[in-house]
Amino acid sequence: MKAFEYVGAKSVDQAVKALTSGSAAMAGGTDLINRMKDYVTSPDRVVYLNDVKELAGISGDSGTGLTILSGTRLSDLLANDSIKKSYPALWQTASEVGTPQIRNMATIGGNLMQHPRCWYYRSGFGLIPKSSDGKHMLREGDNRYASIFMTDGDALYAHPSSLAIPLIALGAKATLIGPDGERTMDVAELYKVPTSNTESPFASRPGEILKSVSVPAAAGKNGSFEARHKQAHDWPLVMASASLTFSGDTVSDARVVVYGVAPLPWRSKAAEEAIKGKSVTLDSARAAGSAAAEGAKPLSMNGYKVAMLKTVITRTLCVTVGNRYWEV
Amino acid sequence: MAANSWPEQTKLINTRIPRLDGIAKASGKAKYPSDERPDGMLFGVVLYSLHPHARIKSLDTTVAEKMAGVKAIEVIAGPGKIVRYHGDDIAIVAAETEEQARDAVRAIKVEYEILPHAATELQAMAANAPEVVKGGNVRKGRAQITGKPDDAFAKADGMIEAAYSVPVVTHVCLETHGLTARWDDKNHITAWASTQAVTATANELAESNEIPVSNVTVLTEVMGGGFGSKFGADIWGTSAARLSKKVNGRPVKIFLDRIQEHLAGGNRPSASAKIKLAGTKDGKITAMVAQTHGTGGVARGAQFPLPYVYSIANFSREHSDVFVNGGNARAMRAPGHPEGCIIMESAIDDLAAKLGLDPVEIRKANLAPADFRTKIYLDEIAIGAELIGWKQNFKPRGTQKGIMRRGLGLALHQWGGGGANDKQVSCTISSDSTIELKSATQDIGTGIRTVLAIIAAEVFGLKPTDIKSNIGNSTFPPGQSSGGSTTTPSMSPPCYNACLEARDELFKKIAPSLPGSPSATDLSLADGQLLIKGQPAMSFKDACRKIGMNSISTLGKSSPGLASNGVGGVQFVDVTVDTETGVVKLNKIVAVQDSGLIIDKLTWESQVLGGVIGGLNYGMFEERIVDPTSGRMLNPDMELYQLAGASDIPEIIVHAYEPADQKKRGVIGIGEPPTIGTAAAIGNAVSNAIGVRVTHWPMTPMNVLNALAQEGKA
Repeated sequence: MKAFEYVGAKSVDQAVKALTSGSAAMAGGTDLINRMKDYVTSPDRVVYLNDVKELAGISGDSGTGLTILSGTRLSDLLANDSIKKSYPALWQTASEVGTPQIRNMATIGGNLMQHPRCWYYRSGFGLIPKSSDGKHMLREGDNRYASIFMTDGDALYAHPSSLAIPLIALGAKATLIGPDGERTMDVAELYKVPTSNTESPFASRPGEILKSVSVPAAAGKNGSFEARHKQAHDWPLVMASASLTFSGDTVSDARVVVYGVAPLPWRSKAAEEAIKGKSVTLDSARAAGSAAAEGAKPLSMNGYKVAMLKTVITRTLCVTVGNRYWEV
Repeated sequence: MAANSWPEQTKLINTRIPRLDGIAKASGKAKYPSDERPDGMLFGVVLYSLHPHARIKSLDTTVAEKMAGVKAIEVIAGPGKIVRYHGDDIAIVAAETEEQARDAVRAIKVEYEILPHAATELQAMAANAPEVVKGGNVRKGRAQITGKPDDAFAKADGMIEAAYSVPVVTHVCLETHGLTARWDDKNHITAWASTQAVTATANELAESNEIPVSNVTVLTEVMGGGFGSKFGADIWGTSAARLSKKVNGRPVKIFLDRIQEHLAGGNRPSASAKIKLAGTKDGKITAMVAQTHGTGGVARGAQFPLPYVYSIANFSREHSDVFVNGGNARAMRAPGHPEGCIIMESAIDDLAAKLGLDPVEIRKANLAPADFRTKIYLDEIAIGAELIGWKQNFKPRGTQKGIMRRGLGLALHQWGGGGANDKQVSCTISSDSTIELKSATQDIGTGIRTVLAIIAAEVFGLKPTDIKSNIGNSTFPPGQSSGGSTTTPSMSPPCYNACLEARDELFKKIAPSLPGSPSATDLSLADGQLLIKGQPAMSFKDACRKIGMNSISTLGKSSPGLASNGVGGVQFVDVTVDTETGVVKLNKIVAVQDSGLIIDKLTWESQVLGGVIGGLNYGMFEERIVDPTSGRMLNPDMELYQLAGASDIPEIIVHAYEPADQKKRGVIGIGEPPTIGTAAAIGNAVSNAIGVRVTHWPMTPMNVLNALAQEGKA
């Protein structure tokens, strides 16, 4: 990797001041270090956030809502009883990230702000990999892991953060802190779709770091389901989270968010509309799964993700109401 | 007198004995070649091509040379040279630290003339494809034809027509390729090499540096995997030695990084087949026609055996090697056999489904009557079927409904595995009772160090831990390279003879000085004691004191009757497939394996487990993925180049097939056979579960869902 200057920040203030142009913030390092070794990201300065005590910890409870500071390790998130009990969508997703070793190092902030796993990006071709004659290498090449929505555009990679999925489904807010102070937005608003390789896929401004995410008080039911190839250490192929509120047996409101199908966490309004006003049965969940797949435009190799998307939506909705139908 | 059979009664041979270096390896105490840090060592880093095909127009090292810590640079591909694949070597920098060497590598300025490439088989086989090698990318082999396949097809009760393919996979040695070389003085080289052939590596270093091989010492105390890809010093090793010379003998370490290990450290060629197979109602295969091809990158080597295992009277086959701009193939654990096994075993399974036959029965009906393995296969199939619960659990293909479907599959394999008869082991007994074995072989993982110690301990009535079992040194008596499952059958006979001869010499030497002046033939050894006419007389230690100043030393050679070759083997797999996600879960694998006399049942079992795990990676996860546009490998890592983790590995039942007549055959190697059939059996189990053939390996959710969609069943 390129030689860099190292700043061990002890406070948010120090960290923000140190994050001048050309700097990179590092928490667990499970993504950044690899990008640096592969010369995908070559910062002049690395600002280490792990010793910033005011950035770690979880406060509140499911009755009032939770605030999770960005430096909280995934293993600490998993040890939180309130999350396990009331936000199973988040807990389940966190439990499936990486390996125990990675979960001991990785932070929720790092997970949300990680860069795409797209192998063209990781090979140094950028998020929009084009050859010198203008060919889109991911569109023309091996796109088995790429998006099936928004494929008319140039950003074809799949968004990498699995924790963004349940957080968006749960209606979480993110707070950024930077030279101009704090600002709070929906977690979904952290991300944008670049139209060139010089654009960032994040909404954060230079010098800003993620301070915390706040999850509203638990209401209704929530759940996640992940389809992945390997049982050990692997990324989801497609996963989804749902947060449902009920009036009686009937879904009164729904938020359904999907991983692995778009360059953003994909909010499936179609699935939400399909399940609203219905009780969650295998049939209604399947109908929502089919609705979710409408409009998908897979690339040359990832048509299988359309079938997988239907299944993942169906299972996510069923799991949310405690129906693991496929296991019987 | 050299022996021609192993003892009938043994205390250690054919029991379960832990590896002598097991604790050291498991605890991290063992020093692998890449762990060595001889004083003054420099780090070498390779600059390799990012282009799949290019001519080097110019190469400028002036900036790199002046960088901090840089001591020497060796150019491998200078101006005018052509690089032929992503990962092809260009230059090597030796510097005080690895980081300095990496920075300097990036400071070497290379101007390329980019040449058109054919990095995938599709590109290489296209009309007007750029030539990877002169004379065309597709090299047709000689067509094979036996009998009259056309007539046989016309008369058959049923036939299938199918296409199967399996991608290129890489060796993924946990310890990458490389060595550390040091010029000890102007005529001598010492090298710590991660190799499966210390002798060949020493020869290569001697030749490339123009010194006698007697002046080269290659050390491989332990090593972290080779699988057929580490038979020599390679350009990286010879360069390390040349760089060491340039820096006045300071040791230079060159071990590939993970990326180049994938790109240039070798791979198993792909295999594709279009196949027609015909048979009769009672399950006799009558004809086979196959067109096959595969790629070994810029090298040949994509040939594989077909028909495989089964006897087919009428067949024809055309095979082509396809050249692509990719790293060259190297031998990989049972070269050719896993590919041939996948193609053959898929076709026979599909024919069984077509004819409505039980997959076990169709296999039994097509074994070669004259082959000695046939009886072994029949026994092994019966044992394996019992262990997997075939009778209770097998359901014919296509009869399952439901989301989660369970399937069973099997595959047969075979291998040679005989030894060389020109290897030697020395055995020295000293008056302090030290027993020392020496041989220039090396332990690629088979446990040969322990195997030799077990044989010696058996002869001397001692414990294996009492024996100094020295291997991994090219200056020792000639030992076998570890390839083709030949190490144990090559080395066990000379070891046994060396020990017998040393023991007899010990008896002869000390007999006169023993109480009652017994004759040498009255003496024996057991449980650490010297026995005279069967009665314990003194400890082995005390007996050795009578040797005197000159130790006893023998050089054992091979003799007939102690080793053999030729094994079969069968594997069964039980899977559950989630038909909605395409995710395959392995429930259980049964491996039934014959291999003559097993010296150490524990290291033997570990070999079979390792083979099965390698095979399940081939069946489930591994694939070299190449981008057609850039010609670059997209997954040269251990993240998206997928490999099983602990929770991906199911229960594996290993059954040693070793009735008395097997033990009489003597020692046969086992490194390769148990990795051959696993991927084929997994494919068959998946197809049995879901009712359709997944034609492309590995069994990823993508390939499974695509197969289901193709059949309209998703």
